[in-house]
Amino acid sequence: MRVIAAVTLSQPAIQVLQDLTILGLAPGVSGAIAHMEARLQGRRGPRVAQPYYDLAKLFRKETLVPEDASWVFFAGPILAFTCYLIVPLLIPVLTAYPLPLGYQGDILGGGFLLALAGFSVALAAAETNGPYAQLGSSRAMTFAALIEPSILFITFTVAVITATDLPYFEAAANRASFSAAIRPAHLLAALAFFLVVLNDTGRIPVETHSSTLEFGMIDEGRTLEHSGPPFALLKWGSAMKQLILYVLLVNVFAAPWGLAGSRRLGPVVLAILALLAKALGVGAVFAVIDSSFSKLRLFKITEFMAAAFLLAVLAILVLYLGRGG
Amino acid sequence: MSAVAAVTPPVPSTFSGTAEGIAILVLLTAFAMLRAPQSRSQVRLYAFQSLAVAALAGYVAASRHVGDLYALAGLSLVLKAVVVPGVLMRVLGEARVDVSRSQRLSVASAVLLAIVLSVFGVFVVGSLPISSRSLPAPALGLAAAVILVAFLLVIVRSDVVSQAVGFFSMENGVSVAGLVVASGLPLIVEVAFLFDLLVAVVVFGVLMRVHHGRARTLSTEALDRLRG
Repeated sequence: MRVIAAVTLSQPAIQVLQDLTILGLAPGVSGAIAHMEARLQGRRGPRVAQPYYDLAKLFRKETLVPEDASWVFFAGPILAFTCYLIVPLLIPVLTAYPLPLGYQGDILGGGFLLALAGFSVALAAAETNGPYAQLGSSRAMTFAALIEPSILFITFTVAVITATDLPYFEAAANRASFSAAIRPAHLLAALAFFLVVLNDTGRIPVETHSSTLEFGMIDEGRTLEHSGPPFALLKWGSAMKQLILYVLLVNVFAAPWGLAGSRRLGPVVLAILALLAKALGVGAVFAVIDSSFSKLRLFKITEFMAAAFLLAVLAILVLYLGRGG
Repeated sequence: MSAVAAVTPPVPSTFSGTAEGIAILVLLTAFAMLRAPQSRSQVRLYAFQSLAVAALAGYVAASRHVGDLYALAGLSLVLKAVVVPGVLMRVLGEARVDVSRSQRLSVASAVLLAIVLSVFGVFVVGSLPISSRSLPAPALGLAAAVILVAFLLVIVRSDVVSQAVGFFSMENGVSVAGLVVASGLPLIVEVAFLFDLLVAVVVFGVLMRVHHGRARTLSTEALDRLRG
């Protein structure tokens, strides 16, 4: 056992492993959150593995295409899924040290890829002529634009703290000392990013995650017209996006501990387990929020965005003040 | 990495990080008051804000060994976090008015405006060459922001309770600023400020009761109609 744990992995292998971790764990984390949510609300809830069964079922189903839909309808889900596969190469999923491809894109690069994924899904939804899909995609684009200023200011905060905007450096800066982990600018940015994640994963103050009521839908509404394997890709992709955002939240901002410091197999496997535990912890927080708040009215969502923006701006202000005049 | 570290701002020590954190909490409470739709929740937020100010004074006293500040922390805890909110709640209870609906601006615009104001306050105060033994300089900028945001609350809300709470929370901002600039000041000066606040509470309490007695509302819109 000790011999196996001491096997040294090559860096590309770890990089591929990051992708596979996100790919494999994402549906399970979604299932676990749905299960916790159901338990909190006094229901028995679906099995934790239910999303895997759903995906397997959808991949076997036939694909129905709306009239007038062109190739964009198919390309959208595939492009989105590809983007979600690229992002884990850029962020600290398993290792504390930057992997070779980690330098290929910074936080902005990852943000662009996530935005491209959202755009392609919205484009595919706009192809369909389905009113609810188009409603969902137009809303999703509107709110994505409104949350953008907060994301920018969080990026500025990271840039000022680390003089780079690579997520690995931000994580390292937070690990450096206790004072660095509790410095107000970092706490504010982390809190703002928490609100951004809440918005981007379609959680309760913004959107009801598992409702069937089309009028309240934002992200969920976009995929109503899809079926079969493309729909499976969309569902899998949204679970991966959720896990990617959780990884950014815990491994960069909130708790950048428990990452592998070497290339040996043992620490890497431990890092996978730690990631799973941290993702489930974040999921539990989100499940509690889901069960204890009510959804905001659509026109009140700007208040939520304003709160996230306020926290991000305060982070920059505190940093400016800390410069000493 | 060391070349990178040279251009980044220094990491604040645990003491100044915590103190700044509490000062930020005071500012965030002022923002929450802008958002709070109910008069009662505003009073509760004011109580929380005063608690944070008292905690800040207590924290500075404990870590910088300034004995006077313990008295100040205790006094502001008793007066501002218990007595003043209690008086306001009583007046509100007699008036039986709960939701004020007095926002002149939408919440998001008010918050954006307040962000602009706090940036202004922080930059103006940040350019002053003030350093302090007791508290990190950022707290002074934050105190200026608290004062401006509370002032905005007085401007954008047209009911007596919001205006009273806004006025009192300006006093909280002044207290934080006082902790930064003059924590060595004789206790008697600080206490005089607190009694000033008590006078204001009495005045606002009388205003609320008389106004509600005459106009049956706590909204200041009705004050236009009181021409003799």
